[in-house]
Amino acid sequence: MMSNEIHLWAFLQGIGFYPTGWMHERARPEGVFSMDYYSYVAKLAEKGRFDAIVFGDQLQSRGAGGRTPERMAMPTLDPMTLLTAMAAVTDHVGLVATISTTFNTPEMLAERFGTMERITGGRAGWNIVTSVHPDTAGNFGLDEMPPKETRYSNAADVVDKACELWAAMDRAGPHLNQGRPVLVQAGQSPAGREFAARTAEAIFCPAPSIEAGIDFRNDMRSRISGVGRNPDGTRVMPGLSCVLGGTEEEAKANHKAIMDMASVELAIEYLSESLCCDLTSFDPNAKLPVEAILEKTLLPTADVGRMVTPAGEKGTSLRDFAMNFMLNPRGHNVFIGTPEQMADMMIEWRDAGACDGFTLQPSYMPGGLEDFVEGVIPILQQKGRYRTEYPGTTLRSTLGLPAYERAEA
Amino acid sequence: MTRPFILSAAIADPELAVPETAATYLNAADETGLDLLLFGEAGGRPFDAQVLVAWAAPRSQRVGLVATVPASNAHPFHVARALSAVDFLSAGRTGWSVIPEGAAEGTAEDMVGAARSLWDGWGSDTLILDKASGRYLDASKVKASNYEGPFFKVTGPVNAMRPLLGQPVLVLDDAAPIAIKDADIALVSEPTADAGATKSLLKVTLDTKVEDVAALFAEGKIEGVHMSLSDPLAELPKLAALFAELVAANPGGEGDLRARLGLPLASTASNQPDGAKIPEIA
Repeated sequence: MMSNEIHLWAFLQGIGFYPTGWMHERARPEGVFSMDYYSYVAKLAEKGRFDAIVFGDQLQSRGAGGRTPERMAMPTLDPMTLLTAMAAVTDHVGLVATISTTFNTPEMLAERFGTMERITGGRAGWNIVTSVHPDTAGNFGLDEMPPKETRYSNAADVVDKACELWAAMDRAGPHLNQGRPVLVQAGQSPAGREFAARTAEAIFCPAPSIEAGIDFRNDMRSRISGVGRNPDGTRVMPGLSCVLGGTEEEAKANHKAIMDMASVELAIEYLSESLCCDLTSFDPNAKLPVEAILEKTLLPTADVGRMVTPAGEKGTSLRDFAMNFMLNPRGHNVFIGTPEQMADMMIEWRDAGACDGFTLQPSYMPGGLEDFVEGVIPILQQKGRYRTEYPGTTLRSTLGLPAYERAEA
Repeated sequence: MTRPFILSAAIADPELAVPETAATYLNAADETGLDLLLFGEAGGRPFDAQVLVAWAAPRSQRVGLVATVPASNAHPFHVARALSAVDFLSAGRTGWSVIPEGAAEGTAEDMVGAARSLWDGWGSDTLILDKASGRYLDASKVKASNYEGPFFKVTGPVNAMRPLLGQPVLVLDDAAPIAIKDADIALVSEPTADAGATKSLLKVTLDTKVEDVAALFAEGKIEGVHMSLSDPLAELPKLAALFAELVAANPGGEGDLRARLGLPLASTASNQPDGAKIPEIA
């Protein structure tokens, strides 16, 4: 294996990174309800020699304040189901499912992932999340979410217990090829990073700039060393979206076309969901209703205050705030340019120690993934920075991680 | 309504979770014309069947994929989502069999009620998918379930679409009885008038006399047979051969699993008769 190899994951939630993505002429919003679509996408990811396909998850319906949005792509089909079906039509690509430790018992989790690990022949990964959205609680009989500290200490216990259960499943047979799923984490807070340092073999994170990537990876590597683990046993995989074109001008025009599909109504629905507060009945041309937001939001008001107060003081309208919020989403790096430029940028990040690879989030699906696989992958391969064949059949071997040491009975 | 002679079987072999073996079992099920394949059964569930039916969806063409779900080790929110997705991926071939497996009395029934309320939270014609107008769905068709049972309390709405079948085909097994009166299929050791399901399938072995089964089918006491398999590759062709005449004389309909087997959604089971419709996009 090349030592400066770039790893790539494909984060394929819904119909793309942009809320407008589903309306793109090369998007297939009806596809997410058919096996043909998932079969096509899975084979495309494997053709692109991606390490893994990743699906995020939510345990609540989209929307805010009990109102279901009309303009956002939903619903979200169960990620483990989609990934297991994608495994059935591929041979190498890994499958990373997001599952909550707060709303699954270790027994439920271990049985589901143990079965997935077997039927995929050792290609399963578990993105460990504790769930944060306040609307989740009611779906599991709770009035409110457990506090963050409780969720993380519980997560550590759940992971430990699940690992014991997998060891028992492995001994009982049929054998688990990887011993257990690869453990993946995406926590950003100090508690989340500490948990990841102890647990994660791969980390998904936002990194809007190369400097942010370097800071995050250095911090994680030092935390990992600090708990006595080898930092080379963990892959750091920041999110990366892109809009490509044959020339820079064409790429910018393609980006503008995605932006131009945005409507104020969609932007306000998207903002409402992100703030956990229904803003659809407010006048979009009036000032951002900061007081109402802070009163109604279900999220911690300090966090929401940091997001909205500066705009409120400037007198920004709800319309402008919502549009700007939607078009610059989620703190991930968005690349706009040619495939050559993108490959160079990726190599620069990798060589600077900003990442071990990237978690690609196509701007719309499946067109955005097609463009990347056809345009960028061959360049990375020609430059000797990306695999042309898979090294083995398990996700662990694809990631170049040391073999999992099976616990003694 | 169609009245086919239904062939059903269960596999509880741990090797069903191994891809090479699972592929041969699924091929055999499709080739022999099996209508329903239960992944696991009461007393034999060495895997998570919900995961295996997902894998089986693209690896099979015709057979109904029935996940055995233990009430003791599952939550209706997760189950409703998983089986909704399987139903889309299998183009409407999903079933489920809820067994208590050690759960407190009433848990399995509560699981059925909660999952049904989540599937019913989405109208059949919720999706619009109009790129030009930017309308993805009709929000008035999405409802919070606010389900409150003795064991499960689920607000909803679930973030999974109503399945193509409306609800997956619900299978009861008299070896692990649950108090549901409006299921779709009951697996019975003896024909009974109150099996709790639209259709009953008689549990058989390869030694069962076909004449006896034919007589019960003619009297309307059963609608087919079910067999628990211990050696699927050897037994499936024999099972199919044994009942070949009855199957040939009483074929199923066309379409999804409910249409083929003549199993409309019971009006007590759902707040609407149809499954999800996906708009076509030009």
